[in-house]
Amino acid sequence: MAADELLAAEAVALDRPVVRIYGWSEPTVSLGGFQRLADARAAAVIAGLPLVRRPSGGGAIIHGTDLTYAVAVPRSHAWGSDPQVLYDAFHESLAAELRERGVAANRHPGRDRAAGDELRLLCFDRRARGDLVVGLGVNGPDGAKILGSAQRRLRGAVLQHGSLLLQPPPIATVTHPGLLRLHPPAAVWDLRHLVSAWLTRVAAEAGGPLDEQAEPFRRSRSGLIADAAARFREPAWLGRR
Amino acid sequence: MAAAPKFAKTHEWIRLDDDGLATVGISAYAVEALTDLVFMQLPDLGRAVQAGESIGEIESVKAVSDFYAPVSGEVVEVNAALPGNLETLGQDPYGAGWLVRLRPTAPADLASLLDQAAYDALVKSQPH
Repeated sequence: MAADELLAAEAVALDRPVVRIYGWSEPTVSLGGFQRLADARAAAVIAGLPLVRRPSGGGAIIHGTDLTYAVAVPRSHAWGSDPQVLYDAFHESLAAELRERGVAANRHPGRDRAAGDELRLLCFDRRARGDLVVGLGVNGPDGAKILGSAQRRLRGAVLQHGSLLLQPPPIATVTHPGLLRLHPPAAVWDLRHLVSAWLTRVAAEAGGPLDEQAEPFRRSRSGLIADAAARFREPAWLGRR
Repeated sequence: MAAAPKFAKTHEWIRLDDDGLATVGISAYAVEALTDLVFMQLPDLGRAVQAGESIGEIESVKAVSDFYAPVSGEVVEVNAALPGNLETLGQDPYGAGWLVRLRPTAPADLASLLDQAAYDALVKSQPH
């Protein structure tokens, strides 16, 4: 979370989008910026898992079997104004790549408020407009969700987090099937290639280069990241609501 | 009669009222862009804020956004009914959807903000 937060400053300094792709060393639940900690603590489905809180919105994610991305976009960029545009840029790019590989991936049209999605704890149990689902109308009326994203809209930049569910997490398997379970891995599912093809499409949509920040970024900013990490570790941050 | 509202580049509006206090809200453009609001956090009463400082947060289905004090001052009133009735923000962003009332440190600072025409031009120039 700390490294992701610094992406925003990096995007402003470079004046272009910066993306970071990562996984998790152990199963961890990340809560949305305003979700109630008490609701998470009371949920048997995630009992015992470490909890962190994201700066971005949205629902809780059980990390560990997903691929997480963070992208920061300067407010002056074409993606910096309308929240849906940035959301769709990442989701439709992946949908297009998956469709080319024979997967029926589509953006969900969104449910009306009566569905009570904001009351559901887990991101992958919700459906917002643009969420990437597989088999809409086949895997249930709402399809099987494989990618959800949420944003923190800062003054100079927008930070978007997203989670691509690859495998079902150890729990919640009924509502969290995962891409690779829906489509068993084969040569076509070389993840490294899939992600590379996805980001190439995103960069084409952006109309310019997309910086990817990985280990060198973390090393060069280790002091700043440590400071930010201390804030994210404070009980007051996790318990802010 | 209260003055016409002025606007910050971060999409807050502020209006100096007859009682010398300033009412602050979020522009209709910003509310529409956020869509489907689900939660809002307002500042504490009595808090001293600086111009440009975050004074609260609002969450929509996909995004958490800060809103900022257009001028420096003290928070003397908050629209406590708003977090429980977020639809009001979309229905009446310049009226019942107000967020806070400030006692401005220097009311003359409002003059440096955007007027309606300048704000409309800013919105038109936003990338789509």
